[in-house]
Amino acid sequence: MSADDESADGARPGAAAVHMDGITKRFPGVVANDDIDFAVDRGTVHALVGENGAGKTTLMNVLYGLYEPTEGSVRIDGVRHEFDGPSDAMDAGIGMIHQHFMLVDTMTVAENVVLGNEPTKWGGFATDRAQAIEETKALAERYGFDLDPTAQIDEISIGEQQRVEILKALYRGAEILILDEPTAVLTPQEVEGLFDILEELIAEGKTIIFITHKLGEALEAADEISVLRDGKLVGTVSSAAASQEELARMMVGRDVLLDLEKPAAQRGDPILEVEEMSVEDDRGVTAVSDVDFAVHEGEVFGIAGVDGNGQSELIEAITGLHQPSSGTITFDGSQITTASRSDRIGMGMAYIAEDRQKRSLVMDYDLRRNGLLGCQRLPEFSNGFRIDWESTEEYVDDVIDEYDVRPPDPSADAHSFSGGNQQKFIVGREFERDPSLVVASQPTRGVDIGSIEFIHDRLLDLRADGTAILLVSSKLDEVRQLSDRLAVMHDGEIVAVVDPDAVSEEELGLLMAGEQPAGITAESARVRGGESA
Amino acid sequence: MSGLRDRLAGTLDRLVDASPLERLLISVASLVFALVLGAVLIFVSGFVATCNSPVVFIPGVGYGCYNPIEVYSTMLQGAFGSPISLGQTLQETTLLLFTGLSVAVAFRAGLFNIGTQGQMVLGALATAVTVLWLGPFVPNNAIGTIVVIPAGIAAGAVVGGFWGMIPGVMKAYADAHEVITTIMLNFIATAIAFYLVNNHVGDPSSDSVLTETIPAVAQFPAAIDGSRFSFFALGAGLLVAIGITLLYTQTVIGYELRTSGIQETAAEYSGVNAERNIVTSMTLSGALGGVAGAMYVMMAQYRWQTGIPSLGFDGIAVSILAGNNPIGIIPTSLLFGTLKSGSLAINLSLGVPTELVEVIQGLIILFIAMPEFFRLIGKRSGFGSDTPATSGGEQA
Amino acid sequence: MLYAGAGLAVVAVACLWLFGPVDASSIAMALRFTVPIGFAALGGIFSEKAGIINIGLEGLLIIGAFSAVASMYALSLTPIGANVWLAFGFAIVASAVVALLFAIACIEFKADQVIAGLAVWLIALGFAPFASTIVWGQVNSPSVDGFSKWAIPGLADLPVFGDIFVMRPPVMLLIVAGPLTWYVLNRTRFGLWIEASGEDPKALDTAGVDVQLVRYVGTVLSGVYCGIGGAALALRVGQFTGGGETMVNGRGFIGLTAYLIGNYNPIGAFFASFLFGGLEVIQLSIQRTSDIGIPTRLVGVLPYVIVLVVLVFVGKTQMPSSAGDHYESDD
Repeated sequence: MSADDESADGARPGAAAVHMDGITKRFPGVVANDDIDFAVDRGTVHALVGENGAGKTTLMNVLYGLYEPTEGSVRIDGVRHEFDGPSDAMDAGIGMIHQHFMLVDTMTVAENVVLGNEPTKWGGFATDRAQAIEETKALAERYGFDLDPTAQIDEISIGEQQRVEILKALYRGAEILILDEPTAVLTPQEVEGLFDILEELIAEGKTIIFITHKLGEALEAADEISVLRDGKLVGTVSSAAASQEELARMMVGRDVLLDLEKPAAQRGDPILEVEEMSVEDDRGVTAVSDVDFAVHEGEVFGIAGVDGNGQSELIEAITGLHQPSSGTITFDGSQITTASRSDRIGMGMAYIAEDRQKRSLVMDYDLRRNGLLGCQRLPEFSNGFRIDWESTEEYVDDVIDEYDVRPPDPSADAHSFSGGNQQKFIVGREFERDPSLVVASQPTRGVDIGSIEFIHDRLLDLRADGTAILLVSSKLDEVRQLSDRLAVMHDGEIVAVVDPDAVSEEELGLLMAGEQPAGITAESARVRGGESA
Repeated sequence: MSGLRDRLAGTLDRLVDASPLERLLISVASLVFALVLGAVLIFVSGFVATCNSPVVFIPGVGYGCYNPIEVYSTMLQGAFGSPISLGQTLQETTLLLFTGLSVAVAFRAGLFNIGTQGQMVLGALATAVTVLWLGPFVPNNAIGTIVVIPAGIAAGAVVGGFWGMIPGVMKAYADAHEVITTIMLNFIATAIAFYLVNNHVGDPSSDSVLTETIPAVAQFPAAIDGSRFSFFALGAGLLVAIGITLLYTQTVIGYELRTSGIQETAAEYSGVNAERNIVTSMTLSGALGGVAGAMYVMMAQYRWQTGIPSLGFDGIAVSILAGNNPIGIIPTSLLFGTLKSGSLAINLSLGVPTELVEVIQGLIILFIAMPEFFRLIGKRSGFGSDTPATSGGEQA
Repeated sequence: MLYAGAGLAVVAVACLWLFGPVDASSIAMALRFTVPIGFAALGGIFSEKAGIINIGLEGLLIIGAFSAVASMYALSLTPIGANVWLAFGFAIVASAVVALLFAIACIEFKADQVIAGLAVWLIALGFAPFASTIVWGQVNSPSVDGFSKWAIPGLADLPVFGDIFVMRPPVMLLIVAGPLTWYVLNRTRFGLWIEASGEDPKALDTAGVDVQLVRYVGTVLSGVYCGIGGAALALRVGQFTGGGETMVNGRGFIGLTAYLIGNYNPIGAFFASFLFGGLEVIQLSIQRTSDIGIPTRLVGVLPYVIVLVVLVFVGKTQMPSSAGDHYESDD
């Protein structure tokens, strides 16, 4: 770290807490940040919004010393700094709370908070664990966090883990806190809790920058909002003067239809029926308990809920990746509870998996080989022994063409494509087989807005053709807009099935948090959203 | 001068950036580096060894016994200098082809089969016992050979396959790491084979631990006088290499085995039983190890006896150097066949220990394991067209 | 798992009973046999907890054993004369240097840890007999002097158990190293960093600690420990034998399994190693009383079979979550 001589004596009164001047960051073949000027005043909350890949995280990584800018300079409290790494940034009073928490699961809250700055005794030959617990406790109390310093990280909730991350930064003397997508993993109620914490921090004189792509949250929590698009700063507005539509236009560069036009459902016979099904996870803990529902031809059945409430296990049981511990699954009139995954594929079940880089694609295969993934035993692609590469290639060319996969190169490896194009390819591969059921789990996670619209349109096309669709998403907007009926999962149970048009976001939030909002009981919800729809 | 440099730069550029060619270049570079380090080892150890006619004297250090260039050229001479040595080289090549393919089949499935050695030892014993038993029942002519040799190969494949299946099952259903289990199974295989030959199926008239010589009908017809090398065995090996390539590129089961190896979670998504595929791959790998043992008995030793050479471990280097590509194994097994057969010559005429080849093999494996080493060399010398993707390089 | 390890050690002692009275001298013998396995296990814990899976422990033991004997031999040719402690020191340095090279390959050049570890083993397996042949003209060394036994004052005079406390220095070192390793891993800052480095290196990095340095130190420590273990083995026997799998004969891999049994806990790993040491004693006593009717060659297989059984039950579930992964601090 080096500070300019002229200002080495300290902060300049009146200067902005953060001033990033003309920041450009180039990666091979990409300009992630293009001449960005960005300033944040002390004691304010500043939201940084933009699509995935707009350069938000890169800009903050520059501020946090993880990246060295190609051009431009950073001033903190008016003092110019060149960070050689996060520890320099920390010394300058900057703390970052990453989207994926930087916590060691096997260690305690206190151990994580003091990691790297452990208090010691006996001349450094032992850590002073009592003092670490004491200091953590004191810090938590000062900001009103309810945390047990001796609890192990993998035993506390996501919301609590986030608070540990904030404590970690505060313990290191952070005055400026950067939060990367802090609300992505929280329930609406937990989000409110986080915003309360932010207010508490501002009251203590801290400065906060938070990265988000949720415009509503930016408007609610921030004093000022900066919008990034394609690596450039589009503008900075005061949240009091801005509207969601205006921000969306700045973010995307054109008018966006925030509401989707959706014709009425033409519901047919039930295709998928799940009865009294329970699923245990790999550790033998019940993840899904006693779930009942049916998905009909021509409808989108949505499942909302905070991540980790049994959705993944439910989907894996339906798609055949995981055996349920009890209950039955019926698909197209046949019992498939114990059928293999490969049989289910043969019967016309398409599946867009939640983690595309782990499940739906082999990252080191080209698109040609990926086009065969899951289809390899279908009669169109092989005789069961020998692969018909010719028709596979035709199929892949079709998918690339129809689903606008760019670049249209079937011999390029999957990992060389952007998230959006990977997902369009998967969607195409699964949809072009004329499935009778589509199981789509987080189909637009980590995908650009253009691709999101495209995927939504295709889902609704299939629905119009009479395909049954089971949709799981942690994006509330998405499940509300696309679903004809919406189930809410909490702690492995379906706590309600509601009409997505008739339920408010607050009610959904309460349901997701496991509480029963007034006027909606599980029973009445089923009736309202269920057979009468 | 500048033209040469440009050409070199172009080559290194591709080493740094390109992918399919990159692997080939990394293999070649690993080989070169290992041979150079081997040469340094030879040269330095020459000052420790004692000999009658030193090749070099360095004041203050002493007399050096070995000239690396002479050692390597003697090695080549010893491998190709006469029909008999050529036969020896091709015989080693054939055996390495099978052990290399055994290791490669496991590698393709994402598994390290360090147990080819044990699979080979037990497969060899099964072959010896089978052909010794079968020998008296068949006519002593070509017809007998056509019956006995395939039976011997089958016996080796079955027992080797079984010995490979064990770590496969342990990996698939108990998550036991196959590197350790296969190494343990090597120790166990050697002990079991020793015990069986010593106490039950050995030649009672001999003090050593060995079986009787297998009947002539079970011996591969030798192609070169004074050598036991057989074109039939080599041809079989080449066919198997081609067959395995077709398996992986043209068949559903090959596609599924490979997918399971590259990305197990995606394989499950595609409807594959990943556990069963692990067992299949390890069984197939073990069977090839067993066939290597069968070839060893029916082409090289004509009996089972203790101290079977470490062809199974050599197979690791053969496979890794070939990038686990079945066709690539053909040239790499020839390369290591040359080294092994040449090592006998350097020991006989120069006194350099044969274990030199094992050190070189180990070094090759080490270099192949770290492709980044060559990429960095490429970049540090100013080649490579792009800066690193992260800013680490700039900050360092 | 700590209890499982301790339980297995009890079983080992019970087995000892079957094949002869468990007396002070058989326990002392088991401890002697524990030394190379135990040091490999403790060293492996440092490395793997820090995030570098060191499958080359076997190779490091070989290097330690060879270097100790070679140093004794070389020293005897100098005016200094053969000195066990100096040779011991050289062996430790040699093994640590090889471990450092392995660490550089894994950290600097992002080598696949398992393949690189395998290479360390194969290189050592080739190098030791190669060098033996160069120095002595054959794969086995001539006899050299080894450690002499020390009697611990007071304890050695105890009735019945006194013999246990007459031991060579490496045995004492091992008895100290178990608890000491536990203390370092569980009670010091460095121990906390080791754990974080293997579990979540990014968390450690963002906390301002140099992950790579922690990993280097952890891996080199595994080399130091293996140097002690290998040297102790060779200086007990008083010879290096390089035929077949060399005199180390799989003890590094057994040590690796021992720390899995002990679930990365040094105390558990110590007891698990003691179990394997006890098995060697059983083997010897069976060989001595060969009238039992069990072929000795098959009894020798017992430790390896136990390793297999243990692996089936232990699996690899408790591995540090980032062990085996490369870590780059800036992405």
